[in-house]
Amino acid sequence: MNNAPGQITLEEWDERYEQLRRAGLREPGYGGPLGRHVGDGDRRLLKLRYDNSVASLRLWNFLLTEEDRLHNARAEGKRIVGTMKDLGTVPVMAYSLDNVVAFYPDGAWWIPCVMELSAGLLETADSLGIDESFCPVRAMLGAFVTGAHFPIPDQLVCSVGATCDDFSAIAQRLNGLGYPILWWEIPHRRFPEVDEAAVRLPGGFCAPKRQVEFVKSELERVRTALERLAGQRLDDKKLSAGIQKANEVRRYLAELRQVTFTAKVCPLPALEMLIAEMLAIHFCSDRDETISVLKELIDEVKTRVQAGRGVLGDDTARIFWVNPVADLQVMNLLEDCGGRICGTEYLFSHALDTIPEELPPAEALARMALADPMVGSSVDRAERICADIRRFGSEAVLISRIPGASHCALEGEVIGEVVRSRLEVPVLEIEVPPVTDSIRPTLGTRLEALIETVKERRKK
Amino acid sequence: MKTIIYTCPYVPAEWIAAHGLRPSRIMPGAAGSTSSVGRTEGVCPYVRRFVNEVIMNTQASGVVVTTVCDQMRRAFDIIMRRCELPAFLMNVPSTWQSVAAHKLYLDELRRLGEFLVRLGGKSPSSRALAKVMLEYDTARTSVLATRGYLTSSQYSELIAEFNRDGKSGITTTINEKKPFTGGIPLAIIGGPLLREDFGIFDVVENSGGRIVLDAAETGERGMCAHFDRRRLRDEPLIELSNAYFGSIPDAFRRPNNQLYNWLKRELACREVRGIIFWRYIWCDIWHAELHRLKQWANLPVLDVDVSGDEQALTVRTTQRIHAFLEVLQ
Repeated sequence: MNNAPGQITLEEWDERYEQLRRAGLREPGYGGPLGRHVGDGDRRLLKLRYDNSVASLRLWNFLLTEEDRLHNARAEGKRIVGTMKDLGTVPVMAYSLDNVVAFYPDGAWWIPCVMELSAGLLETADSLGIDESFCPVRAMLGAFVTGAHFPIPDQLVCSVGATCDDFSAIAQRLNGLGYPILWWEIPHRRFPEVDEAAVRLPGGFCAPKRQVEFVKSELERVRTALERLAGQRLDDKKLSAGIQKANEVRRYLAELRQVTFTAKVCPLPALEMLIAEMLAIHFCSDRDETISVLKELIDEVKTRVQAGRGVLGDDTARIFWVNPVADLQVMNLLEDCGGRICGTEYLFSHALDTIPEELPPAEALARMALADPMVGSSVDRAERICADIRRFGSEAVLISRIPGASHCALEGEVIGEVVRSRLEVPVLEIEVPPVTDSIRPTLGTRLEALIETVKERRKK
Repeated sequence: MKTIIYTCPYVPAEWIAAHGLRPSRIMPGAAGSTSSVGRTEGVCPYVRRFVNEVIMNTQASGVVVTTVCDQMRRAFDIIMRRCELPAFLMNVPSTWQSVAAHKLYLDELRRLGEFLVRLGGKSPSSRALAKVMLEYDTARTSVLATRGYLTSSQYSELIAEFNRDGKSGITTTINEKKPFTGGIPLAIIGGPLLREDFGIFDVVENSGGRIVLDAAETGERGMCAHFDRRRLRDEPLIELSNAYFGSIPDAFRRPNNQLYNWLKRELACREVRGIIFWRYIWCDIWHAELHRLKQWANLPVLDVDVSGDEQALTVRTTQRIHAFLEVLQ
């Protein structure tokens, strides 16, 4: 069996799985050959290329069995919270309770990609007046109506205010269809006025103290709702313990990102890194297992780095990627074109920063919520991107627009200007729909142009 | 007198005027040949035009932008980078049912006051604020009293004029006039109109209809509630906050049932028989309400999606309105 790091197809993975199994592979209960997920309708999996490590096998199986975990949780009598939009805050609270599981229905935005539009979710959204002029997250509406992709949560919690209009509008539509939602306000993060008390947020942003206090009061409303749902107190002790656990996940992710993005040879492909980062926002419905999955990935990556081995060549262009892609295959495409990911801002950097443990927990969470790159100005976000570019040594920035998303209309211009002026690195914007097959040549051409530019600049 | 421009109905003109500055709620017009916003795809035409209007404005001393929609919130970044005009971004909460949300709005008014002082304004006493509020309230009442006595176009232009120029110049009297009757009563519901869009009222009237409810953001829906005289005297700033934040119904609010409650009342009392739904392409907030409104209203709804690229109403829109009214005859 060839154990050199590399990328393989789903078919190759299933052959490899058999070899591993015969060689004594030990897996968690959700393990198994990846190919079985195609039977669930996840047809896009057939077109992706995967990292060939056992750690990545576990990562993929963990991701693709989340729906089962949610159904099991319900069968065990646990309460399910659908947290929407905040990307990383409310789940920390929910998982501090031992009988509550939280997940993001927003994640349904990948279903049209993974099922190659066969699930009919976008058509359902169309029929409800939410057409293709909205972000692909409209698939969430279809998932609620069909009830076929996740159990309907016992409680929905959604942040609004400084959020994208698409999601706010779609959530309101959902509310209008009879799904009650607890709305909580996240204000636009602003600079403190002169002489106004200010606090430093995780990740380095600054905010007025009174904004932190406001968000804290909003999160207290959420806490009360969660307590009512769980039938138990969510006191500061439990919340602090929940924060510590969340930080464990975040520290592992920070290490994984640091080692992977700065390695001379890319030790883990872009796609697996994207999925690993996604674990931070709600732990894929199992916090402890998330930690185990990440530990195994880090071990694999470290082993590869120490051996000087990786999945791509050593002259790949180091790309900083902004915004998640609606079509996962585009991460493969970047690598096909000669690039690798060295830095990301997938809309939820605040879910990767550690939460202050020395503060009262509600205040710590409020600070974290306000550190969301999307609730402040695009200039702030660009500054953070610049800081990470310096940290990871990225050579170019790729801004991946999400079709129809309200924030994508104007932010790219600002981010591009700031990055170019601060660091003089090339910036390119692309737009990625849920299935890119028809525009793959165009996308490829644009990515190749960026990568060629990077390589030309190295010669100077 | 220094002029402060804005376009959002949640910015109280009275607060700016009480600081000794001239509030002007502008209606953006034609974009001109160049755009200050690099991209056009995905950008709400109204936001694009607002940014252009602000950047090209040479008369204003400051601009107030609010967070009621994501694109406008982000347009603030563009304005800050493209022009020297002092700019203020006001947080207007989407939620409205909690005391904390009202308090946040009130805090933002106070912060706006500090911005106005920095521009040369003077922080008003409660008494001075109450006086300005009373003047505006009287003027607003007189504007609203003309409904039915003016053509729908004149009425909506009068509201726009009031928004742009405040209390000055409102001299319309209705004593000698007879109320307008006839025409199929329609409502226009949706986001704000551009300057060129007032032609829609005449198109409707020429097609046999009459707009009896201007529920566009620039119409009656975007006007604050009448001030309570006792509270105005006792706590004018809180009354101002209540009349604006507590009363103006809009699609962006969460939940937005306040909008539907308001529409239910107004559609019924004006015996509306059809709705023109006015929305800009890429405006998610209003677009998402279209389907719900159709189901909820039990009235015919004509969806007018506006690209904002035209100088005025398109032939297509005109013909659709004409056909809509023909169906309603």
